[in-house]
Amino acid sequence: MLKITNLHARVEEKEILKGINLIINPGEVHAIMGPNGSGKSTLASILAGRSDYEVTEGSVEFLGKELLELDPEERAAEGLFLAFQYPVEIPGVTNTYFLRSAVNSIRKYHGQDDISAKDFLALVKEKANMMELDASMLSRSVNEGFSGGEKKRNEIFQMAVLDPKMCVLDETDSGLDIDALKIVANGVNALRGPDRSHLVITHYQRLLDYIVPDFVHVLIEGRIVKSGGKELALELEEKGYDFIKEELLAGA
Amino acid sequence: MAVHTPPQTDQFVELQANSKALLEGISPSYFSELREAAIREYTEFGLPTVREEEFKYLPLHVLREGKYRFGFGAHFERSQLSTLTLADTDAFSFVFVNGQFAPEASSFENLPDGLEISTFEDADPAVLTQHLSKIASLKGRLGSTNDERFVALNTAFLGEGLVIQVSKNKTIERPIHILNVVSSDDAEFVAPRLLITVGENAEATVIESFETSTGRAFTCPVTEIRLEKSARLEHIKFQNESLDSVHIANIAVHQEAQSVFTSTNVNFGGHSARNDINVWLNGEYTETWLNGANVATGTQVIDNHTRLDHAMPNCQSFEVYKTILKDQSEGVFNGKIFVYEDAQKTDAKQTNQAILLSPTATMNTKPQLEIFADDVKCTHGATIGQLREDAMFYLRARGIEKSKAEALLVYAFAAEVIEKIGPHDVRASLEAALFTKLA
Repeated sequence: MLKITNLHARVEEKEILKGINLIINPGEVHAIMGPNGSGKSTLASILAGRSDYEVTEGSVEFLGKELLELDPEERAAEGLFLAFQYPVEIPGVTNTYFLRSAVNSIRKYHGQDDISAKDFLALVKEKANMMELDASMLSRSVNEGFSGGEKKRNEIFQMAVLDPKMCVLDETDSGLDIDALKIVANGVNALRGPDRSHLVITHYQRLLDYIVPDFVHVLIEGRIVKSGGKELALELEEKGYDFIKEELLAGA
Repeated sequence: MAVHTPPQTDQFVELQANSKALLEGISPSYFSELREAAIREYTEFGLPTVREEEFKYLPLHVLREGKYRFGFGAHFERSQLSTLTLADTDAFSFVFVNGQFAPEASSFENLPDGLEISTFEDADPAVLTQHLSKIASLKGRLGSTNDERFVALNTAFLGEGLVIQVSKNKTIERPIHILNVVSSDDAEFVAPRLLITVGENAEATVIESFETSTGRAFTCPVTEIRLEKSARLEHIKFQNESLDSVHIANIAVHQEAQSVFTSTNVNFGGHSARNDINVWLNGEYTETWLNGANVATGTQVIDNHTRLDHAMPNCQSFEVYKTILKDQSEGVFNGKIFVYEDAQKTDAKQTNQAILLSPTATMNTKPQLEIFADDVKCTHGATIGQLREDAMFYLRARGIEKSKAEALLVYAFAAEVIEKIGPHDVRASLEAALFTKLA
């Protein structure tokens, strides 16, 4: 599904990613954990195509295509979805209009006709229900006046509507209380399947109680320094990131 | 001291002289004096030129070169309303064709108790003499650039017009809509006049739309609004005249204590379109909202001047003006806020933003704050720029192509103002019109 090879990236003069290697196969859920400033969100942004970062070395292959050569909208159309850490408010554009534009743009990319109003409505209603979002929010402006929890639920709702192949969740748990966290996790779990992969980026282990990963990677200072199964997350929770840093020092 | 060149022959002075008999026939006799005083006042300065600061960016040569007619009796069918943007608005509607009241095209059955609407001819003379040209007068106010010549020009043609009166403690749920339609095979001069008084603790919504059915015009409307204590008025003005029309509007508002005035001023039409909105705050704890959404294409010039006179303490004003400019169009925003010596605890916030969609479009923006009190909060911000990067990326990350994402954000930029309009059918019609205008 996704193959990241020796990825280096920087912002201005500061090198943030220093050689990431990661392979995600169809159906797998990978978690990337790491302390603040380790490069987690940078990785998510680069995958989605944000232009603030300069990739200096390495490659990312997504379903056989060179991802880094695609525009953000092409990546989305190919099936990559980024759930934003900070979803953007867009006053003046309703959620419905925004989502229908997105659905139709992706359909157009694949040479399909626009979705019918009836089908779109049915799709949107079903997914809004799943995310326990009030239907009235569909006629409101994108994320405007939404609480932190609503914004994150809206991200997963959009993900469910757009039906991507590779979901990247950037600190989707930040700012959520336990109830909202469960709703978000249930939404993500409902989307798990043999053809869809997830990359869950988080600072805390808490989210991984609900979205149980197949693999956990620890990212520190721009490198994946340790990989393991879901038990690695528990170990990190217990011992903190320092124990890995110490291990690294001891090994060095 | 305003420096001015002596007036050349001005067709509107001549037009006024030739229209006296018509105007005398349709209006109360005491209007003659008002008209005569007004034409004298207008003649003193005549049509402005771009050498004058207040009209620096507004090309009006067409008013000198083109020939305009003034007169009533246009043939207009009710069915012709259907082409107008706001024709289907659920409201008590009053249609004026080339400035003449067209009752057969209007629909205002069952006006509720407490709402009185009459033409000048049928209105209470006491109300007219008390307010006409008085609310619009800037005499004695701060600032040296007061310019009322287009109020004077309108008053020089005072004849047909409408008075809306809302009685004390009455809330009028259904909006009142004045449709000003131009229907001409040539060029019309039109001088619509409206007086609105909202009684103590009363509430209403008034929509004024200006659209062209056929032909073109120089439309020069004046609207005077008085809000008594704790009165609330939402005023929506939509100007969508033909792209070879000139539109110069004056809206003057007088607010008593605790009143709330909300204005939404939307301009898509006109070759040269200008609005002056002047609000005088005459009592404490008032609220004023001035919202503007403007889109200009081709060689259109859209010019908005607003003026808030914070004459009393503890008043709040919020102003948001947005302009989208394409092609070689030009936008102008001048926002004056005067805070008088007594007006402590004034809270005034002014924002004006423009998006330029072509390298040949121009925005001229001038916030003008003059503050004579010391304990006030006044902020102003002007941005002329591009689309928001974060929103752009968000849309594209959802699969929306760059060009479509840009179009969506341009639309949203102005729609943000339009979506604050109360009546939802007006909102929906204007959003659709915005979409068409940007296409």
